[in-house]
Amino acid sequence: MENSFKKILSLVSVAAFALSASTVRADDCADDTVKVGILHSLSGTMAISETSLRDVLLFTFDEINASGGVLGKMIEPVEADGASDWPTFAEKAEELLAKDEASAVFGCWTSVSRKFVLPVFEKYNGLLFYPVQYEGEEESPNIFYTAEAVGQQAIPAVDYLLEEGYTKFYLIGTDYVYPQTTNIVLFEYLLSKGIPVENIGGGIRYEGDVAVSAGNYTPFGHTDFQQIVAEIKDFAASGDACVVNTINGDANVPFFKEIAASGLTSDDCPIVSFSLSEDEFRGLPTKDLVGHLGCWTYFMSIDSPANDSFKANFQSWLANDAPAAVAKEGRVTCSPMVLSYNGVYLWKAAVEKAGTFDTDAVIAALEGGISFDGPGGTVTTQKNHHLTKSVYIGETLEDGQFEILEVMPDVYGEPWLKGTF
Amino acid sequence: MIAHFFFLGCNGKSTVKHWISLLIVAAILTSSASARDARTVMAELIQSERAEQAGLIEELSTYGDTIIADIYEAWRTGGIYLLEQDTGSQLLQFTDAQEWALVHNGAVINLSEAEAAAAKKQRPARALRKQMKRIIDTLGLKADNTALRIDSAIKLGRSQKAEFIPALEGRLKIETDKQVLSALQEALAISRLANGEDAQVVEAVQTLKALNSVAARAFLEELMQAEGDNERADSSLSYACAEALISIERHMKQQEFFGSFFRGFSTGSVLLIVSFGLAITFGLMGVINMAHGEFVAIGGYVTFLVQNFFIQTWGLSSSAFGWYFIVALPVSFIVAAVIGLIMEVSIIRFLYRRPLESLLCTWGISMVMQQGFRLIFGAANVQVNNPTWLMGNLSFAGFQMSYTRLLIILIALVVVALTWLLLRQTNLGLHIRAVMQNRHMASSLGVPVARVNRMTFALGCGLAALGGAVLSQIGNVGPSMGQAYIVDSFMVVVTGSVGNLLGAGLSAMGIGLVDQLLQPSLGPVMGKITVFVVIILFLQWRPGGLFPTLSRSLDD
Repeated sequence: MENSFKKILSLVSVAAFALSASTVRADDCADDTVKVGILHSLSGTMAISETSLRDVLLFTFDEINASGGVLGKMIEPVEADGASDWPTFAEKAEELLAKDEASAVFGCWTSVSRKFVLPVFEKYNGLLFYPVQYEGEEESPNIFYTAEAVGQQAIPAVDYLLEEGYTKFYLIGTDYVYPQTTNIVLFEYLLSKGIPVENIGGGIRYEGDVAVSAGNYTPFGHTDFQQIVAEIKDFAASGDACVVNTINGDANVPFFKEIAASGLTSDDCPIVSFSLSEDEFRGLPTKDLVGHLGCWTYFMSIDSPANDSFKANFQSWLANDAPAAVAKEGRVTCSPMVLSYNGVYLWKAAVEKAGTFDTDAVIAALEGGISFDGPGGTVTTQKNHHLTKSVYIGETLEDGQFEILEVMPDVYGEPWLKGTF
Repeated sequence: MIAHFFFLGCNGKSTVKHWISLLIVAAILTSSASARDARTVMAELIQSERAEQAGLIEELSTYGDTIIADIYEAWRTGGIYLLEQDTGSQLLQFTDAQEWALVHNGAVINLSEAEAAAAKKQRPARALRKQMKRIIDTLGLKADNTALRIDSAIKLGRSQKAEFIPALEGRLKIETDKQVLSALQEALAISRLANGEDAQVVEAVQTLKALNSVAARAFLEELMQAEGDNERADSSLSYACAEALISIERHMKQQEFFGSFFRGFSTGSVLLIVSFGLAITFGLMGVINMAHGEFVAIGGYVTFLVQNFFIQTWGLSSSAFGWYFIVALPVSFIVAAVIGLIMEVSIIRFLYRRPLESLLCTWGISMVMQQGFRLIFGAANVQVNNPTWLMGNLSFAGFQMSYTRLLIILIALVVVALTWLLLRQTNLGLHIRAVMQNRHMASSLGVPVARVNRMTFALGCGLAALGGAVLSQIGNVGPSMGQAYIVDSFMVVVTGSVGNLLGAGLSAMGIGLVDQLLQPSLGPVMGKITVFVVIILFLQWRPGGLFPTLSRSLDD
């Protein structure tokens, strides 16, 4: 009973989306459009982050349509709500591929949602563009990872800190696959750089002689960081220590509040965070974060003509053309948004190069290497379905923006890092 | 090449490097005219290229002028501007008094609006900031604030640079504050580990042992390692290091233990404040209030609104802003109590004899309220800043307690005391207890049951919001913030025996302590799981909780 009710609901919502999409261009007949899926959580806990990606995708489609579409066809977005529930993601992916026959799907945020849709995309030979920084160790023939791999975020950040003379690293994260994998790769990397085991804080768990987990982990939505901050303080007492933070979501607020209260400053012990971008700062007290570091392949503060026009176009789209459901106040741009944007343009370029929307041909074109001058600099697709792109290290300012400290141009995207150092 | 070496920072172990640095400083001092002062050098530093900076920083370190710290702070926080005009460039500081001043002499000048708009904000590079920090730290030795002096002394010691030893020794002679004295001794000892003669080093190790210096641990380990590598593992120095390390580690264990107790009380206080309202609505009245968490969230949002009101009226940096939190406490209590009152009158009073329906109904209300927060305040969390007087911490016997946490413990105590007074010393309290014991009997004896119910429910809701106001200082304020605490709240109330406020208090403290004492060894995830397992086992053993109500009634 409940199941059929759910189905009806989802059908109704899909119908509503389709309707809303079709009313926009009621005069287009189906032959002139190409269906493209958006698969993000528009409700539930992940909605805060993922809705921004839906918005930027809609903006990108409008931008491409205004300049003539792809191969002369207008993009017709089909929105699917993953509802922060992983089986729902798989269900919606199946719907997008089997029913709507979407040429490409842009979506997913959490790694676990990607793991759930992966078999669906492989079964239907679909094409997914995944835009959010992730742990690597995956390379599906049907997914393009525009996201930062560990080698394009965590490793450059640690390189930067090593260069700055920090010799002690405390690893902390939320207990799930992305932080666990990232930290174990970082652990191996730090050892390879000559950092002794006792200088890596947070605790290391061995199975036999092999380290299987490095760092300290908290549950999702953890609120009490007193003990951990006390530990970090002891760890940092002899100087030259820094913290590598993979805590996800709003658990960062109590963490940084506790750090601020403990008197640890960013000059003594900087914290580099991998899950906090400009978009997250909209809901964080940035005062407690000033001076701490971030590492992404795009910052809103990048001073380039491409970025300036991207930001201006996005804002004017918000003001004039955005659908009513899109929040318009205080919007910023951030790395996952730009990587979504890049993904769409890479897909467009690949389709144009292949001359067809056929998945295999598009994938082959992408594997052949396609470049796009995006807001964060030039990105180029690789044979291993990742991107070569520039990495930026920035320092948080009072207004929730980053001041760029260092640029590492054209970093190769390598998903398989575990056990290579 | 030499400048480059400065940039990387020297580790202080090589005396040759020190000679080079001293020579350079001497060279700069003789080459520069005597008319130079700290302001001029700072102005030059801000405009300098990377290669020149090391020399200028060394020069700055010879000045003891606190103006360096002021200008640097302005530079770091974006208060220094460069105005480039055809007539030449000017380096300006935008002062706290909203005036423009020339950096090199401090003279106030007037800028036209166009000029002000053309001025470009300057910021120091991160690598430079690390270098500057050292200069600022030596200045810190002369600061009026003792905490700053301690901080500065420890940092100078940790750098193990011989050039800081005279400054530290100089201060040691004139320092009167006990805590600063011991910090200076610690810093000198750490510094001498790398810079002293053999006998001095052994003495330094002993000093560090006596001071139980946590900061020295890594240096001692390093020293012992070096002794071992030089095949002098049985030297007296090596033994001294080992002894010192054992002593320091024992001291740390003790600290850790006491620290855990403090943190346990603080976690317990948070649990207590959050669950005390529920102990009244669920414990005393028997209403399974699933919307309790949303009343906590009301407290958070009211604090947010009060904060915004203060910012709008007096501005973020005014001294009045600091008071917003004090104002927010009673306001959030009153707002939530009024909403609770309305809820009691319109919904809850029909459900007193139907606990299951009340569960479903309040759950529904909780969803409505959550969605209401989303509609009014948006789905994202809102920012609540801590007032400045709540930042920082109190050092006591070597371990630190943050003011926020201390305040939470204090508020918890006050809440318990006031509630106890209300229930035991007032007429309303007498009525509440009477109604809770036997509703019908109380009614027939003339107690206005309906009114007492209303007041009690409002009290419980108000206390929940008080918890939310407190939580805003240490965590998130968002639509689902209540959800994070609802399970904990029920856990506290059930473990402490439903209907017993003392039990709720004790169980909150107990759960907090067990949680914090287990965390160091088990980690946050396993720690939390273990706490739940312990509670399940405890309730198997004593289903009624800590203080089960003894009653002759057959219903109970």
